[in-house]
This record gives sequence, C-alpha cells and structure tokens, in this order.
Amino acid sequence: MIRAFTTAVLALGALAVTAVPGLAHHSATMFDDKKTVTVEGVVKKFEYTNPHSWLWVDVTGKDGKVTTWGFEAEGPTTLQRSGIRPSDFKVGTKLTITGNPMKDGKPAAIWVDAVRADGKKFNPRAGFAIK
Amino acid sequence: MSRTRGAVAAGVLLTLAMPLAACKTAEAPDASTPTPLTAVLPDRTKDQNIELARQHRTALELYQALRKEANNGRPLQWSQMPDWSGVYSRPANAGFAFDPDQKPGEGPTAKLTPEYQAKLAKRIEDVKKGIEWDPISTCAPPGHPRWLTEPFLREFIVTPNQTWLINEMVNDIRRIYTDGRDHVPAEDRYPIPNGDSIGFWDGPKLVIHTNQLQSGIYQRQHPDFTDQVETVEIWRKADDKTLTADVWVYDPPALAEPWYVKQSYSKLSDPDRNLRIRYWNCGENQNNAVVQTKEGGTQFRGFTFDKGAGAPKGAAQKGKP
Repeated sequence: MIRAFTTAVLALGALAVTAVPGLAHHSATMFDDKKTVTVEGVVKKFEYTNPHSWLWVDVTGKDGKVTTWGFEAEGPTTLQRSGIRPSDFKVGTKLTITGNPMKDGKPAAIWVDAVRADGKKFNPRAGFAIK
Repeated sequence: MSRTRGAVAAGVLLTLAMPLAACKTAEAPDASTPTPLTAVLPDRTKDQNIELARQHRTALELYQALRKEANNGRPLQWSQMPDWSGVYSRPANAGFAFDPDQKPGEGPTAKLTPEYQAKLAKRIEDVKKGIEWDPISTCAPPGHPRWLTEPFLREFIVTPNQTWLINEMVNDIRRIYTDGRDHVPAEDRYPIPNGDSIGFWDGPKLVIHTNQLQSGIYQRQHPDFTDQVETVEIWRKADDKTLTADVWVYDPPALAEPWYVKQSYSKLSDPDRNLRIRYWNCGENQNNAVVQTKEGGTQFRGFTFDKGAGAPKGAAQKGKP
C-alpha cells in the first residue's frame, strides 16, 4: 500500500537529508530529496552489503499486483551503529518504510526510516551519530 | 633418590629456560614505566596555523620548519607510544565538508585560483541541475586528502617505526614511516591515491608530510586537487575520546594559498564490543553499480529487484518538485 505524506513530513524529510551525510560512494542526485514515499509491505530480501545496503520490500497494489521496491541505505557497519542488523528484517517481516524516491519513477528510494509491524522503529541515518 | 633426580631435572630445565627468558625479554617491548611525553611544538590557534602556512612556500618547507622547531623530533620506544586504540569516526555534523568549519549553506573555505574557482562554480551549478559524478563511483579509493573526510569507521595503529591510519572504506590504509627514511626519489615518484608519507614524533604529536598524490576532489561539491597536492599534518590525542589533525594543504595550481583545516575524529563507545572493521568489497552488490550519463550525471545501471516490474509512476510519489 502506498501512502502520501503531508507537507510537514516532507519538510522534515528534506531537513534530515541536509543535516547528515546522505550517501557515500555515489552521488545521490538520482533521488529526489524533496519528496518522500511511504509503502507498506513485506521484506523480500535484505542485502547487507558495501558500500550500500538494499532492503527489498514486496508491495501489493490495489490491483493485487506485487511490485518490489528497493530501499538503499549505508553499508553494514553504519547500519550496525544505527541498531539495524540483518536479523531485524528477515524475509516476510511486515513493515512500513519511507524513503526519498528515484526521480525517474523506478521503485527505489533512499531509506529514511522504517517501522516494523511490531512497532519498532529504525532510522539508518542514526548510524553516523557519535555515541 | 627420586628427590635427587627431581632436583637435577629442575636444574636442567631452569638452565635451559634462562637463555629463552633472556631472549624473550630482549625482544619484548620496553616494559619500564613510561615517561609522560611532552611536545616542543606549541598548540597553535587556527589563525596562527593559517599564518604559519603563509610563511612557507611549500608543504615540504613547512614540514622542515616544524621539524627544526621540534629539534628534529625524537623516535619513540614501544613503551612510549600514545594510546590511540579504539574505533573512531569523523563526526557527521559537518556533513562531508573538507573543512569542518564550513558554514551550512556556504561553499568550501578554500581560497582557489580563478581557474579552479570557476570549475567549482560549475560543479555546484551542475548539482543544482541534478548533474553530479563522483570519481569514487567506480570503486576507486577517495585518496588523500579526501581520505580525511569519509564518515566511516577508523582505527589508528601506532608503532615506533610506522603508524597506520586506517579508514574502513575500501580497506584504505595510509602508512606513515617514522623510521627516519626519506621520500622516494623525485625521479621515481608516480601518483598514488594516498601518496608517500614520512613523519616524526614530537612527544605525543605525529607530524606528517605527504607527497606523490593523485588528483581528485576534496568531496562532492568541493574543489578539485591536482597531482601536485602535498600536505602537512600534526596528529595528536586531544582528550580520551578525540584525535585531532591540523592539516595544511598546498596545491599551487588549484589553491591561491595553502588551505588549513582542523580535522577531528571521535572514539565510539562500544560497550558490547560489536564494532569491527570488516573487509569492504565495493563491488559486491550489482544494485550499487552506477554509470556516468552523457550529461555527466549519475544513474544506476539497473536493479536486480525490479526486472520486468513497472514502476508505479506518479501514484507512488508525492511532494514538491
């Protein structure tokens, strides 16, 4: 299920993008940091890899068609610093996830935050914080 | 009888063990009580460091002046090595900016030559149009001095003859030789990402000169540096959780005057001892592969998860363009 967010939330999302490093390794200009997209779905795969990780989420549309979305985040140790481990997103895990979408409309986004069905929240960008 | 045999056997063992023990003692690091290290070089203010750079025409001249001021420095023994252990990272509050003092919304603080100022202006204008290509998109290392800015895990290994400055990203290690060797002869130098670094210890401060570097960019939306770039750094432990580096960058084609910045790296708390630097295989995931577009921008080569899937254009996205 795909939901639109309010302007306030969009502004918050944009602020988060400018406040911390977004991506390493490649430019992030393919993504629109002024927009957010939120989907509900189930985890298909979690690629816990360098330089970026990808969380694949199967999203079922109103017509019953399943689209696999990819949400890009930082690599393993930065995710680990933000408290995101491979076991947090096992195949089949239900979640709501938000990201900055691709400008060209492909089903991919920079992962901004996620909430699992059990209510636990995950913010991959928290991994850059010094604790 | 048996008591006599036992005493003889013990004596033989003791005799055999003594030379071994002596050998081990001779090879082990000096275990004597370390004397607190003091530096000759003063802790200068930012303005003083900027002025210091202006007084020296090249990075090598600055390095030699610091060496003279420090009375040539003094090699450290194992027992004197400062404790730089732990896992560190660069604070993210400055984003990727090469100069942590760069103000939000403003450009890099370097004073550039007109040619490189124009290049930077174009780069920033291009980004506003969505056109940006980062040279490390090919999995190339960031290279020094950009090495200083990457926000990932770091370790610092100090030994009397070499110091290793380690950045997790692409398994990137800078080796600083403090055994008194000089740089590679000028005629045998060729550009390499992290260059050639020699240094000396001034008490707890490590002073480094680096040359033989490859051209690159300081960071995205930052200026270029050329393969004539050279740096001088003074590293020290500022407090229990902070390592700092005074950095002077000389690059006559690009910099109208040396660029001084102060870098800082914070020790991460790791109560569960879970932080570990792992092998970084930049090319392990096809979904991270990008290509440079005809306009000079960046685009993904194609995802493995959306083969044949039509993206739900429009309906999926809301927000201001």
